[in-house]
Amino acid sequence: MSLQLEVRDLSKTYPGNVQALRNVTLSIPTGMFGLLGPNGAGKSTLMRTIATLQEPDHGSITLGEIDVLKQKDEVRKILGYLPQDFGVYPRVSAQAMLDHLAVLKGIVHRGERRETVEALLHQTNLWDARKRKLGTFSGGMRQRFGIAQALLGDPRLIIVDEPTAGLDPEERLRFLNLLSAIGENMVVILSTHIVEDVSELCQRMAIISEGELLLTGEPRQAIQDLHGKIWQKVIAREELDAHRVRMSVISTQLAGGRTVVHVHSDAAPDEGFEAVEADLKDVYFTVLKRSGGAAAQAA
Amino acid sequence: MFIEIFRFELRHHLRSALFWLSAFLLFLMAFGAVASDVVQIGGAIGRVNRNAPFVIGQILLVMSVIAVFVTTAFLAGAVVRDYDYRTHELFFSTRVRKRDYIWGRFLGSFVAAVLVVTPVALGIILGSAMPWLEPERVGPFSLQPYLFSFLVIVIPNLFLMSAVFFGLATATRSVMWTYVGLVVFFVGFSIAGVLLGDLENEGLAAILDPFGAGAIGLATRYWTVAERNTQILAVEGPLLTNRLLWSALAAGVLILTYALFSFTAKESRKARRARRKAEGELPTAEVAPGASLGIRTGTIRAYSGRALSTQFLLQAGREVGTVIRSLPFAVILALGVLNLVGTASVTDQLFGTPVHPRTYLMFQTIASGFLLFAIIILTFYSGEMVFRERSQRMDEVFDALPVPNGVYWGSKLVALFVIVLAVLAVAVLASMGVQTYRGYTDFQLVLYFKGVFLLTGIPFLLIAVLALVVQVVTNNKYVGFMLMALYFVAAPVLQALHFEHNLFYYAGAPLVPYSDMNGFGHFVEPVAWFYLFWSLVAVLLLAGVHLLWVRGKETSLAKRWALARQRFSGPVWTTLVTAGVGAAVVGSWIFYNTNVLNQYVPGNVVEDRQARYEKDYKRHEGIAQPRIVAIRTEVDIFPQERAADLRGRYRLRNKTDEAITELHVTVPPEVDIEEIVVPGSTLATEDDEVRYYIYRLASPLAPGAELDLDFSLRARSPGFRNHGFNNRLVENGTFINSGGFFPHIGYSRGGELTDPNERRKRDLPPVQRLPALEDEAAWRNHQLGMEADWVEYETVVSTSADQIALAPGYLQREWEEDGRRYFHYRMDAPILAYHSYLSARWAVKEDRWREVDIAVYYHPGHDYNVDKMIEAAKKGLEYFTANFGPYQHRQFRIIEFPRYAQFAEAFPNTIPFSESIGFIARLDDPDEIDYVTYVTAHELAHQWWAHQVIGAAVQGTTVMTETMAQYSALMVMEDEYGPELMRRFLRYELDSYLRGRGGELIEELPLKRVEFQPYIHYRKGSLAMYALKDYVGEDTLNSALARYVADVKFREPPYTTTLEFLDYVDDAVPEGQEHLLEDLFETITLYENQAREATVEERPDGTHVVRLTVESRKYRADGFGEETEIPVDDWIDVAVFGERGDEDPPEGKILLLEKRRVTEAEGVIELVVDEEPRQAGIDPFNKLVDRNPENNLVRVTEGM
Repeated sequence: MSLQLEVRDLSKTYPGNVQALRNVTLSIPTGMFGLLGPNGAGKSTLMRTIATLQEPDHGSITLGEIDVLKQKDEVRKILGYLPQDFGVYPRVSAQAMLDHLAVLKGIVHRGERRETVEALLHQTNLWDARKRKLGTFSGGMRQRFGIAQALLGDPRLIIVDEPTAGLDPEERLRFLNLLSAIGENMVVILSTHIVEDVSELCQRMAIISEGELLLTGEPRQAIQDLHGKIWQKVIAREELDAHRVRMSVISTQLAGGRTVVHVHSDAAPDEGFEAVEADLKDVYFTVLKRSGGAAAQAA
Repeated sequence: MFIEIFRFELRHHLRSALFWLSAFLLFLMAFGAVASDVVQIGGAIGRVNRNAPFVIGQILLVMSVIAVFVTTAFLAGAVVRDYDYRTHELFFSTRVRKRDYIWGRFLGSFVAAVLVVTPVALGIILGSAMPWLEPERVGPFSLQPYLFSFLVIVIPNLFLMSAVFFGLATATRSVMWTYVGLVVFFVGFSIAGVLLGDLENEGLAAILDPFGAGAIGLATRYWTVAERNTQILAVEGPLLTNRLLWSALAAGVLILTYALFSFTAKESRKARRARRKAEGELPTAEVAPGASLGIRTGTIRAYSGRALSTQFLLQAGREVGTVIRSLPFAVILALGVLNLVGTASVTDQLFGTPVHPRTYLMFQTIASGFLLFAIIILTFYSGEMVFRERSQRMDEVFDALPVPNGVYWGSKLVALFVIVLAVLAVAVLASMGVQTYRGYTDFQLVLYFKGVFLLTGIPFLLIAVLALVVQVVTNNKYVGFMLMALYFVAAPVLQALHFEHNLFYYAGAPLVPYSDMNGFGHFVEPVAWFYLFWSLVAVLLLAGVHLLWVRGKETSLAKRWALARQRFSGPVWTTLVTAGVGAAVVGSWIFYNTNVLNQYVPGNVVEDRQARYEKDYKRHEGIAQPRIVAIRTEVDIFPQERAADLRGRYRLRNKTDEAITELHVTVPPEVDIEEIVVPGSTLATEDDEVRYYIYRLASPLAPGAELDLDFSLRARSPGFRNHGFNNRLVENGTFINSGGFFPHIGYSRGGELTDPNERRKRDLPPVQRLPALEDEAAWRNHQLGMEADWVEYETVVSTSADQIALAPGYLQREWEEDGRRYFHYRMDAPILAYHSYLSARWAVKEDRWREVDIAVYYHPGHDYNVDKMIEAAKKGLEYFTANFGPYQHRQFRIIEFPRYAQFAEAFPNTIPFSESIGFIARLDDPDEIDYVTYVTAHELAHQWWAHQVIGAAVQGTTVMTETMAQYSALMVMEDEYGPELMRRFLRYELDSYLRGRGGELIEELPLKRVEFQPYIHYRKGSLAMYALKDYVGEDTLNSALARYVADVKFREPPYTTTLEFLDYVDDAVPEGQEHLLEDLFETITLYENQAREATVEERPDGTHVVRLTVESRKYRADGFGEETEIPVDDWIDVAVFGERGDEDPPEGKILLLEKRRVTEAEGVIELVVDEEPRQAGIDPFNKLVDRNPENNLVRVTEGM
């Protein structure tokens, strides 16, 4: 059975006229789906709305046969959710907490529950730390615990909201590995503002900014579309403004004290520019730049 | 830099909603207190001005205490904010100096705290300018009392509280812990108040009270109306000590805080440990990319019955566990237990004498003493629970789980319930501990269960529901807290507004007094209905919780409303309709009982009726009416039905010298009239509301002629009432009397409204409590009413077969008929028309003193002090017959009645005596005041002083009854226990008298002209008579009294007055002491005796010369407390005390005690004693009315 999440015309405005979502329409098939966007783009709003935690002003969401906005109980049965802002009871051990959440997921049989919990602790590499208080977990361990609880109860829809924010590279890698191991026949939505997360993991993706869906499709295809249109040059800092005026600078990056600029252009914009192989970052910044959104300043 | 931080801090508070909201609330409360009678703060009663300096001080004092709950948030916020917003590292790494940072923050918040209280002054000023206020109760505006109150009360209090909680917040870096500290502080404060509440600890309590309330109370405790209206307190003595002590302490705390405050971005220990652990973690084996998780997950049974029950139990268990393990819970509970133990140990004490710790006393202590703690716990933890997931940032995880809302809110509610029950269980254990410790082991577990878990527990559970509802609906913890506070404040406010029906107040129900005699009696049924009603309302509220429960991130009301409509499912509908219909049905049933079967009469309506009674019928006061000369009654008591049939005949005689054409009859509200027959008359006026009836006689009743009035009345107890239960007719312990259940002749002043302010509102002239002493026309009537003089009396009382029925008189015959017991009683000599009827299952103990049969009818099990009462009766009979004349009866009976009322009352040869004022008193300690003997002797004395000598119904009449009964009882007590115990007893009397003056609503009068003012005829009466006895000698005084009794007893009108009484007493006063009666009876005389210094010099012959420097001032006060100093010329006790031996009074061995004539306000008295002196003083035993009785003694020091 192939599950498809359909988001139609979803809008949401917060008090104070902050529009978090503007008529977002999106199809998400099974598999890993990356939702990319800068901070404050509306990613979390979208994720929470799908996770039954927020109400849109209008629009609809369906997951297969389920009307997500109305049949919340049905959604919750098959949902695994790792929120962005995610605390833990600091004085409870990982195993006990997972066990508790398993009961709430509906795994009532004690033996089955223990097996599930132990399997997940193994899978997320928390087995050795299972007796430790959650309050003592590092960020990476906590996120792995988060994915463990999201995986409880055989979910068909998994939502992970900004799971890699704040993790060090090693932890991040380990976390992505874990995610990549999640089965194929479920819908997995990963929201992030880190382009690499998407490029390394996702078959499909969407970019949103200021509540608007800017692009949706396969990362490979998007990169393909930019082929031959991204140019790079190393310049001095003082030259940057001049370049900005003259051409479409999509990103700048510091490298060894010098500034590397990427420019989107159908042809070589200037002498000194060399064509580079476009990557997802370029896609991202190009799309943002086109929408007039956040200044593309890569870290 | 300091200035910037200070201004930043202040601005921060001034911009917060909390500041303005609290300022507004404080303003409103102060305004309400001054401009209305709804808020009762400050003590502006009677003639005390609404804006009297005393009242201003009290209001500001109370508000400065209330405000602490807000200002603590300011101070804690000032400290914790930076940590909360994680800006502290930012702050601490800037160039801000520690000094500027701390003092800026502190002062900014402290100034905000003072500013938040300032609107109180505004509220008072504005309130007292309101046009609807009675101009005579608004004094002129003066800035001085405000300045004083701020400088001496508000600012020091806020400074102390600010310093302490600033320090605590700095130490804990947690708002919650700071608040826990606040709760601990207040509870400790109230416990200290209870423990130091005794008269003997006043001075210490005054200094230790951090708010200065004790010190102010001590300084103003005896203030009269005049002083309250004009005086500004002097900052001296305990008040000064108190203010200096606590301000110094506050400064110390601040300095300590400053020293301890670490100006580095220090991590908490917990966070550091967590980080270390995390850092130490080594990478573990990696999961191979792409490997399938292949997790075997268990069977998912979300939403199945089994899942729901498991989830429910799990969640509830977790909530309970979290609360019970949390420290604040333990702290609050421990304090609750401490408070309970403290209160339970002193409950029901009279004159400091304890009682046997019966179980009902324990559960009543729990119900009243634990309420506050239950409320704090419920309010606090309902907030914690509702927001627990959110504060832990676990809400999104939990809210996305396949768990219905009902499991979440339901488990929290059940957890609150479990906590309530656990708290009560702890309270029960603690109470049983108190009982055991005091050697009492009859625990009555079933009674504990009913009293604690049902009667007390159910309202607590209802409050738990409310606390949860408030949190969920407002979705703001602090607004929820405030609403709960408002809920508790609303109770007295609704009362004051006369919304007295329990249906107006959530969880409201009538009180359930418990009596050993009558158990819970008929009080349980109404309460059960009210609880059922409120439980159904609680279900409706919970439906609201279900619908508005916040799940997910939507918190706006509009969105929640939209979600609620989604949740409006079938079961919700069914619940709403069922509970709604149920509440409507039960509510209607309650209404039917309280307002249809019975009358619901709020206090203001009662007052309106009193006013109308007076307006319509006062003109009939004093018109010629016949008097009752014989009473014959038949009273059938039906204890099971709480009913009685009262039939009888009054023989009336026209004792006036004019023909009487109308007979005026009033009937008390407790009885229904079956029939009143006045032969040959027509009913001319029939006023059923105030129950005034005028019968026009067909032929006038000639002087000396007689007329019979026959009546048949019914007392019934249909259904139940909202308040004011008839607790006279009960299953076991019926006590009905002539005043409340029988017809009366003529207009009675007793039915008038007395509160001067309520009278003014209803355009009634100032009240006249009694006619003037010299009003000879009024001498025709005696104190107990104008309807009769001395009457013949006879009655037949019947009751159910298992009970005894009693009435005044001697038993003529006893028989059974139709399964009921009948008793025929008859008096063989005329008595006052003052009769009572009692019925219960008693045990009887009988004894004899000469020809007098003594009997005590008591509840089986209440035999603790029965022998004591018999002994007291014997001693009283002995003393009174020896000193005042023979006893007129051959019988003396004490009859126990349920503790619904706390008094004993003397009927002819019959004394109904409440369960609570002696039957369970614990008199094992010989140092305690034996009030059993005292009350018994007092009531016995009334057989002389009331039932032989009765005064005319004019000013001073109660001197011949209450004052003389007090004196007689004092003499019996002194004979038994000696003068030292009397002195302790008289200290209570002095305190009650002086305090009573401050509570006077109309005007204080000299004893000679007392107008039913208990603080005068009992308290001052005791003091005056004791002092008189001390001056003239017991025997001299008593022989004068005996002559008086012999001459006036059983006298027909005109009755005796204090004029005559004082004539006889005057004979006893020796020459040179003529001013005694003037000081004690004819004026309000006060003394200020003070021992300033005492030095000693040893003479060669071994004697010691003590030079005592004294100050002795004498004042005369008018009825409002305005004092004028008059020259002193009195014989006053002076004394020297030595080392205290075992037998000596607490002051020490009396080396010298004699009366010296004092004529100078200041002087030196030389006293020579044989042994080494320790203390010396003037009027050391407080025989004179002295407003500062503590400074009469001084330590003796070596002279030059």
